[in-house]
Amino acid sequence: MAEADEELLERFASHSVDRDNAAHFRGRLNRQLLINRCGDCGRWHHPPKPVCPGCWSTAIEPSEVDGTGEVHLLIRLHQGPPAPGVDYSTPYPVVTVELDEQQGLRFTATVEEGDIAIGQRVELDWIERAGVPVPIFRLAREVSL
Amino acid sequence: MTSDRNPMKNAIAFAGATTTGFERRNTTRSQASWAAEACIDAMRQCDLGPKDVDGLCGSWPPANELQAILGLPEITWFENPPVPFINHVSAAAAAVFAGLCEVALVWHAAYRQPWNTAGSLKDPFRAAAENFPAVAPSPDTVMHAVGYTAWASRYMHEFGATKEDFGLIAINDRSNAARNPAAALTHPLTMQEYLEARMIRWPLCLFDMDVAVDGADAFIVTTAERARDMPLPPVLINAAVHGMVANNEEDQIDGLAHHGQHIVVDSLKAKSDFWIDGADVFFPYDGFSIIALAWIENVGYCGAGEAGEFMRQYWDAESNSVRLNGKVPFNPHGGSLSEGATQGSGHVREAIHQLQGLAGDRQVPGARTALLTPGGFFFNAQGLTLIRD
Repeated sequence: MAEADEELLERFASHSVDRDNAAHFRGRLNRQLLINRCGDCGRWHHPPKPVCPGCWSTAIEPSEVDGTGEVHLLIRLHQGPPAPGVDYSTPYPVVTVELDEQQGLRFTATVEEGDIAIGQRVELDWIERAGVPVPIFRLAREVSL
Repeated sequence: MTSDRNPMKNAIAFAGATTTGFERRNTTRSQASWAAEACIDAMRQCDLGPKDVDGLCGSWPPANELQAILGLPEITWFENPPVPFINHVSAAAAAVFAGLCEVALVWHAAYRQPWNTAGSLKDPFRAAAENFPAVAPSPDTVMHAVGYTAWASRYMHEFGATKEDFGLIAINDRSNAARNPAAALTHPLTMQEYLEARMIRWPLCLFDMDVAVDGADAFIVTTAERARDMPLPPVLINAAVHGMVANNEEDQIDGLAHHGQHIVVDSLKAKSDFWIDGADVFFPYDGFSIIALAWIENVGYCGAGEAGEFMRQYWDAESNSVRLNGKVPFNPHGGSLSEGATQGSGHVREAIHQLQGLAGDRQVPGARTALLTPGGFFFNAQGLTLIRD
């Protein structure tokens, strides 16, 4: 059952939830990473926009992605906004991952501690923070043969 | 697509520019008080009274407040653009060129506030003015200023650049600031100190980020014709441009080889009368050190990933700073990292002073042309060429 708009805004108060990205955050509640895809031309885009930047169609469909990809950007926060369970005395890693669905389609989230570096393969997992699921990447376990 | 059309070229001028100087502390003055001081100085420098200004352009305080503070009787055009500062320059120049006003007063007041330094919260007036969100934002993002840190990591990954490359930007700025009485930080900075500085967001440390300050710059923009009747040599606006690409979100830009800076370079080259070989002084914006490295490369001084090596090649041991071909300095006022976080107004003011021969110990002998590239990668890359009349 879909969350009421007011409840969605309250549960994701640390994010800027609006009409265009509400479906993405509703997806998080089900531990689904929903990225906008155009129903007409098939192009993915992120962050969520009201029309497809490729063909201007309004037939936008928030669609689940596999959550696999490659680390494109990596930072380690030595200080930052207060967040439950985040202790900056151990630098807090944030990665931008280029998703396998489309070249240049990227999603930013934290990442499990480990030997993270730009160029590594990662996969998506979820943790719980302040009562809502939070996407987190970790080093890909599978080895494709 | 870029165009070489530039009917405004050399028709509009800076008649004057002033600064209050900058301080890295919570002064007991308001942001408006700093803006007012700089504006009054600029009007006096150009022999202008309250009735002589009919255009206003600044962000903080907004134009209506500044008009009331200075008692300017009649304003026919005003705008409150977002920073950085070429937004103000291009808006005011276009307004004068179009006849919306004759003489525009333009200002930028830098001010220590919670968005640029947590230290500002020690001032109860500044803390009281801030509307804090009930819930802190998520740290799981590279939006806003964090984006530059993210692409700094990518820059190191792609080109094998080192922290020393970033450090040269900071040291160049600090050495230059020592000759600038307006600068907030003037004590020497060594590479050792840079490398040992507090890490804020790896890979960027304290000295890679602009220094939050109190202080203001102000400018008079009018027609070149009118400026010639004022006391100081006019500085002509040769070309002013902005640049942005479709994928302009911090984590979505195509890459280090295609973002706002590349649009600026193509457009400014097409519209201006000179480029790097003809520039007597260069101002690569340095709100974060990575931005300056990228500008040095993207305007064409060297190839991608080579800015560090380029700076070493043209490093002048005596001044402990870059002196291209023995004379052309980069950010001679100390830039955002050492003069203060002015969102580019300090770079523009220093360029005007260099071309007017008013730059004191920092004066580039006979400087006639300045190339400025304020702003970063995502939604605020800008360019400006200035020529002494």
